[in-house]
Amino acid sequence: MGENKADVLQGTLDLMVLKTLESMGPLHGYGIARRIEQVSGDALSLNQGTIYPALLRLEQRGWVKSEWGLSETNRRAKFYSLSRTGRKQIARETENWERTAATMARFLAPSSSASN
Amino acid sequence: MEWIRVLLSRVASLFRRRRLDAELDEELHAHIELAIAENLRNGISPDQARTAALRALGGVTQTRETYRVQRGLPWLEQIARDVRFGLRQLAKSPGFTLTAILTLMIGLGANTAVFSLINALLLRPLPVPHAEELAVLHIDRSDDQDGPSYDFSAPVVRALEKRQDVFQNIAGFTWDDFQIRGSSGNVEVIGAEVSGQFFSVMEARPLLGRLLTPQDDQPGGTAGGFPVVISESFWRTWFNRTPDVLGRRITIDNAPFTIVGVMPKGFIGADSMRPAQIYAPLAAGPVIDAPYDNITAGVWWLSVIARRRQGVSLEQANAALRATAGSLLDEAVPDAEWIKDAREHHFQLAAESGSTGYTYLRARFRKPIIAVFWLCTAMLLLACLNLASLLMARSAARERELATRLAMGATRRRLVQQLLVESMIIATLGTAAGLLLAPFVNHALVAYVLANSHGATLDVDLDLRVLVFVALAGIISTVAVGLIPALRATSGNLNEQIKSGSLTASSREHRSTLPRILLGLEVALALMLVFGAGLLATSLTRLYRVGLGFDPRGVVNIDLDMYKQSLAGEALVHWYQTYGDALRHLPGVGSVSFAQITPLGGEFITHSFRTPLSGGDRTVHINLIAPDYFQTMRIPILGGRDFRWSDTLASGRKIILNQSAARELFPGQNPLGQQIRSSRGPLEVIAVAGDTHYESLRENSPPAVYYSITQNPNMKQSSYTAVVRTEGSPASLADFVRALTTRMAPDIPAPIMTKMSSVLDASISSERMMAMLAVFFAVCALLVTAIGLYGTLAYATARRTSEIGIRIALGAQRVQVVAMVFRENAWIAAGGSLLGLVIALLASRALASFLYGTSVRDPWVLVASVAALTFIASAASLIPAIRAARIEPITALRLE
Repeated sequence: MGENKADVLQGTLDLMVLKTLESMGPLHGYGIARRIEQVSGDALSLNQGTIYPALLRLEQRGWVKSEWGLSETNRRAKFYSLSRTGRKQIARETENWERTAATMARFLAPSSSASN
Repeated sequence: MEWIRVLLSRVASLFRRRRLDAELDEELHAHIELAIAENLRNGISPDQARTAALRALGGVTQTRETYRVQRGLPWLEQIARDVRFGLRQLAKSPGFTLTAILTLMIGLGANTAVFSLINALLLRPLPVPHAEELAVLHIDRSDDQDGPSYDFSAPVVRALEKRQDVFQNIAGFTWDDFQIRGSSGNVEVIGAEVSGQFFSVMEARPLLGRLLTPQDDQPGGTAGGFPVVISESFWRTWFNRTPDVLGRRITIDNAPFTIVGVMPKGFIGADSMRPAQIYAPLAAGPVIDAPYDNITAGVWWLSVIARRRQGVSLEQANAALRATAGSLLDEAVPDAEWIKDAREHHFQLAAESGSTGYTYLRARFRKPIIAVFWLCTAMLLLACLNLASLLMARSAARERELATRLAMGATRRRLVQQLLVESMIIATLGTAAGLLLAPFVNHALVAYVLANSHGATLDVDLDLRVLVFVALAGIISTVAVGLIPALRATSGNLNEQIKSGSLTASSREHRSTLPRILLGLEVALALMLVFGAGLLATSLTRLYRVGLGFDPRGVVNIDLDMYKQSLAGEALVHWYQTYGDALRHLPGVGSVSFAQITPLGGEFITHSFRTPLSGGDRTVHINLIAPDYFQTMRIPILGGRDFRWSDTLASGRKIILNQSAARELFPGQNPLGQQIRSSRGPLEVIAVAGDTHYESLRENSPPAVYYSITQNPNMKQSSYTAVVRTEGSPASLADFVRALTTRMAPDIPAPIMTKMSSVLDASISSERMMAMLAVFFAVCALLVTAIGLYGTLAYATARRTSEIGIRIALGAQRVQVVAMVFRENAWIAAGGSLLGLVIALLASRALASFLYGTSVRDPWVLVASVAALTFIASAASLIPAIRAARIEPITALRLE
């Protein structure tokens, strides 16, 4: 286990899940967790279990739908997919996140450029 | 809107917990299986693959827990857990729980009952649109001793009707018994005579037909008789809700009337305690009240209600009324002498808020009911104090449990919440029990309020206002009962609590002053309640013991309503004589007579007489009686002879004086045979009788002059009340009277029979209500205080078992131990009594107006209250003290 792995930032997991579902289509919890780990290049320390409360939160808001299906190992598993409002929400969340990231970037930029 | 969605889904999940749990488990299993499969594919050994999969997931139990928090309503589930735990805790000590619930039940039940009475009598607005615009008018005079008068004469109402500057509409109204001709004789129903604008004031709409208008309120009426509007319930019971009721004729008091409208169900008129069945125009009064005519006679008997114009405040309305009062008098009162007297006494018209309408019982019961409400509140407060100190003692015993839980990481907030949930359970159960009790208390209170008020009703149903009150009272008691003990129980030093065993005494016990203050306050409150109850009960017994001057036991009054039948004059007198003779022959009947006014009913007539000796006019009370009245009432005749049926107007008018009247009119002389001049010729005094109370018990026996009904010069259809002295209780009397009346006077309504003893009770119903409730509360207060003193001391002593064991082992005498334990409560009782005494003496002045012949500082009552409290407190404290002295040192120390 690498020591420099970052914890998942509060609130970012939701967007990661939504983004994953957007690009991958319907997926079960394990798939989503693995995909996030892979995309982040194993730089995130993700307790895979935390994906489930996040999925539930998104489902309660109506951004994600779920249905039971069969996994690759031929076992019953719950598959999650984006709903219509969820799709719209991605744009909004992305914009929010970019704005925050940009603000942070300005703060973290070399002080010479920030002074004028 | 998103949060609603989230909340709904969370709430929904509460009901499918088991299925959702199973689904999550299945999902997590699938997850692990997929992870194992992948690990195996990556060449990890089978047992390593499983461990790695579980590690990557981060623990099944943790995931499940965070998932559940996200899924349901954690705080609700937590409270549900607390409730279950609290119920178990309460079930463990059923004695404590039962005491707690019972004391709260009494406190909250009584409060709810009295509040719903206050609500019905004083607070609930009339069910009419914009009730807040209504105003009730009254008259202020500087010589009014019993508060303002709400009675107006018809000419004053007519004059007010014309002045519509501040009022949109204004109307006079009164209730009356209407005799309706039914298929079998006349039946009495409650009716109302209302002036023309009445229904405009009420902004009422008819269910059928039309309302009464100012055009209907003209003397003489129309060809079909006066129009009337009937209530929905009258329409239902008399006309079976037939729609063609409009235009039908109805006979009221032997006169024809025409029904022109039906009021909707909710309409109760302006007097909420006497919802009228029939509304007739005021101008029809002389027809209904015949042979009397209150309008021409200028009687002051109408209540006035008005609707303010929009934007006109009560102050503005009052200013306008003050400005017109003078000219109104000149316009509406023919008697110049009367006007002069009124001006001398600062006659003034005033308006007050009329949103609740007008009912005369309100004036009589407002003060007693508010006093009773304070009694109940004191009782509730006492119950809360008691529970708080018991809970405190109990949580002291639970210190170790709480300290352990704190040590194991429970937050203080969490523990306080838990303890509050426990007291909430007690309060909720107590409130529920109180709500069950309330209707019974209510029933009893209403009976007191309505005693003597024929035909009145009081709707004390629980409405929103009462329910809000109950909820508030419940919540406040929860907090009052639970918060302080909970905060205290969780505030202690953790280490010390864990170190000290649950059975050892700690020095903290001696430092805790708060429980003692609470208990002391409880004792003070109990003393106040006992003292107040003592005063009211003493006053009541003095009222009962007051010499009435007659013997009410066994006397039955039979009200005969003879106004509407055809006999009059001598024929009617003869009818009464025959009726009396028939009654007298019934076995069990001693003697029978008649009187215009029976004592203690609240009615009276006065008249002024003068004799050469009386030194000016003397006001005396008047009554008209038949022969044998004094014998029937057991009033002594002190000289002279009784009236005889053979005394007629032709044989010269005779009167009988009571002692006081004889003393005032003929001081120092024998009045027998003397003559008094009157406007209708001389009156000869034929006898002197003993003094009696007249209109009420509280008023002293007035000077009184008795006339004979055989010599009544106003030989109209006079109605008298038959007074019957019975021996034993002739069960057949009621049946006999009914049959006799139907035979002798088929037209008149069934006579109302009342026992003189219930008239006596009813005449002091507010005093009785207050005294009974106060005594009841005082007994409860004593009991509750005893339980409180006993309970807290028993808990405290139980915790000192080993200390006491050591003391005894070291040679302390048992008596010393008893004294030591007893002393704990003795200080509380003494301090509380002292405080209660001071407050009681200061507050008792508020009771002064309710007391009869009893000082608010009656020393005997004071001594007795303190003695009662001391006795109860000692008894409650001795039991734990004696139990402590029986402690065997060996057993006590072995417990350690």
